[in-house]
Amino acid sequence: MAEKWKITLRVHRQKENQEPHFDDFQMEVNPDEYVLDAVERAWAFHDRSLCFRHACHHSTCGACGMRVNGVEKLTCITLIRDVTHNGATLKVEPLRNFPVVSDLAVDMGPLYRKMERVNGRAVSPVTEAEIENPPSKWVPEDSEYLRLSDCIECGLCISACPIMATTPEYLGPAPLAAAQDQGLRRKPELLSIVDCEDGVWRCHSAFECTAVCPSFVDPARRIMNLRTQVVDMRLRKLFGKA
Amino acid sequence: MEQTRNQPSAGKFWSWFFPVGRQVGGWAFALNRLTALGLTLYLFIHLTALGLLAKGPDGYDNFLALTENPVIKLGEWAVVAAVFLHGFNGIRILLTSFGVGVTRQRQLFYGFMVVAVLVILIFTLRMYRVY
Amino acid sequence: MSQSTSSYVSAPRPGETSWIWLVKIITGPLLILVLILHMIVNHFVGSLPTGLMTYNDIVHYYQNPIIPAIEILFLITVVTHSLIGLRGIILDMNPSRPVLRVVTWFLSLLGVFAVGYGIWLVLTIASKGG
Repeated sequence: MAEKWKITLRVHRQKENQEPHFDDFQMEVNPDEYVLDAVERAWAFHDRSLCFRHACHHSTCGACGMRVNGVEKLTCITLIRDVTHNGATLKVEPLRNFPVVSDLAVDMGPLYRKMERVNGRAVSPVTEAEIENPPSKWVPEDSEYLRLSDCIECGLCISACPIMATTPEYLGPAPLAAAQDQGLRRKPELLSIVDCEDGVWRCHSAFECTAVCPSFVDPARRIMNLRTQVVDMRLRKLFGKA
Repeated sequence: MEQTRNQPSAGKFWSWFFPVGRQVGGWAFALNRLTALGLTLYLFIHLTALGLLAKGPDGYDNFLALTENPVIKLGEWAVVAAVFLHGFNGIRILLTSFGVGVTRQRQLFYGFMVVAVLVILIFTLRMYRVY
Repeated sequence: MSQSTSSYVSAPRPGETSWIWLVKIITGPLLILVLILHMIVNHFVGSLPTGLMTYNDIVHYYQNPIIPAIEILFLITVVTHSLIGLRGIILDMNPSRPVLRVVTWFLSLLGVFAVGYGIWLVLTIASKGG
C-alpha cells in the first residue's frame, strides 16, 4: 500500500489579461512521486486551464523547469518527499527572468537565441569534448565518436543567476558554458561575443547557476575557465600570436 | 501580446541585496558587494578627513578627539571587519577565477569566513584593550 | 506566437574587455599586501602601543621617503579597485550607453582627482617637518 500524503499545491497562475495570483489545490499524493506528477494531477483532476511544460519526464529534455518553494528544480526528478511533508504546502512558480506565457510556462526564446549566437552544440567529437580518462593520444578516427553535451537548456541557471535578473542582454550561464565548451582557441570568432560587458565579465561569481544545474554542466566553473581563456586569447593577440 | 512580467529588468538590481532562497554563493556575493559599498564610502570619508592634516596640528588633533566617541569607534570597528570579510571573500574569488577550488567554492567560503571571524575577534580584543 | 518577446536580445555591448577585469583582479591582492603594510606601520610604529596618533607623530613619520611612496601606491591601488568595482555595480543597473559613458567619465575623473589630492596631501605633510 503506497504512502499517501495530503498536501496543498500552491500554483502560480497568470493568464494574458489577469493579475498573477496563486491557486491552491488540495490533493492526495504519493510522496515518492515527483512534483511534476502533482502539477499534472492538478491539471487532470482540478483545473484543465493550468498551463505547464513537460515532455520526457526523465531529465533529458529540459522542459519542466520550475521554482519549487522558491528554488529552481527540474520537477520531473524532484521527489515530493524531498521538498515538503504531509499536511504542508508545496509552492510551484515559473522560472525567473523569462517572460511568462501562461501560468507555469515561460518563453524560453531568449535562452535559445543566445545559445544559437554562441553556436552551442548538442554533440561534439570526443576529441574536443571534456571526457573522463581520455587516451594519451587520439587517433584521427576517434573524432567520429560524439559526446552528447551535458546542457539540456532547461533554463534553471538563467533563473537562478542574480545578474540575469537585472538585464536581458547578459549572455547568461548556459550560453557562456556552451562557448567555453567549444574553446576560444578552436573558435576564435566567439571571443568578441564573450569578451564584453554583457558576456563573461558580467558574472560576479555567485555560483547560483552551478548550485541549481540538474545536468552536471557546472556553468560557474566553465565561466571561470572562460575568463582565463579570454585573457589568454587577448594576451596572445597583444603579442601577435593569434 | 505584451508579456512584460517576470522579465529581467534594471529594477531587479536590488534583488542581490536580499538573497533569499539563494544558496551560499549568492549570500557570499551579497556580502562582498555590501562590504564593497561600505568600504568605498569609508574611503572617501577617510580621504576627506585626512585633509585636516594639512590644516596644521590644531585642526587634526581636535578632529582626533572625535574618534574617542564610541559611535565612531564602532564605525571604525565595522570598517575593519568589512575589510577582513571583503578581503577573504575576494581571495576566494581570485582563486576560483583562476580555476583553483571552483568545485569547493562553498567550503572555501565557510573556511575563509571562519578565519575572518577569528581575525576580527582578535582585532576587537586588541582594539578595546589598547584603546 | 508573440513577436514582442524577441526584441530585446541584441548584440552584446562591446567595450568592457578583459583588461579592466585584469586590473581589478590584480589590484585586489596587491591591495591586501599594501593594506597590511599600511596598517602595520600606522598602528605599530610611532608612540606605541597606539601607533601614529598625533599630528607631530605623523609628520615625523612622513620624513622617511619610503612612507609617502607606500601611501601613494596604496592610494592608487585602492582608488582603482574601488571605482572599477563601483562601475561594475552600476553596470548591473543596466544603464543606457550614453549614461554609462557619463558614469565612466565621472568615475575616472573622480579617481584622478582623488589620487591627485592624495599625492598633494602626502607631499604637503612630508614637507611640514624639518
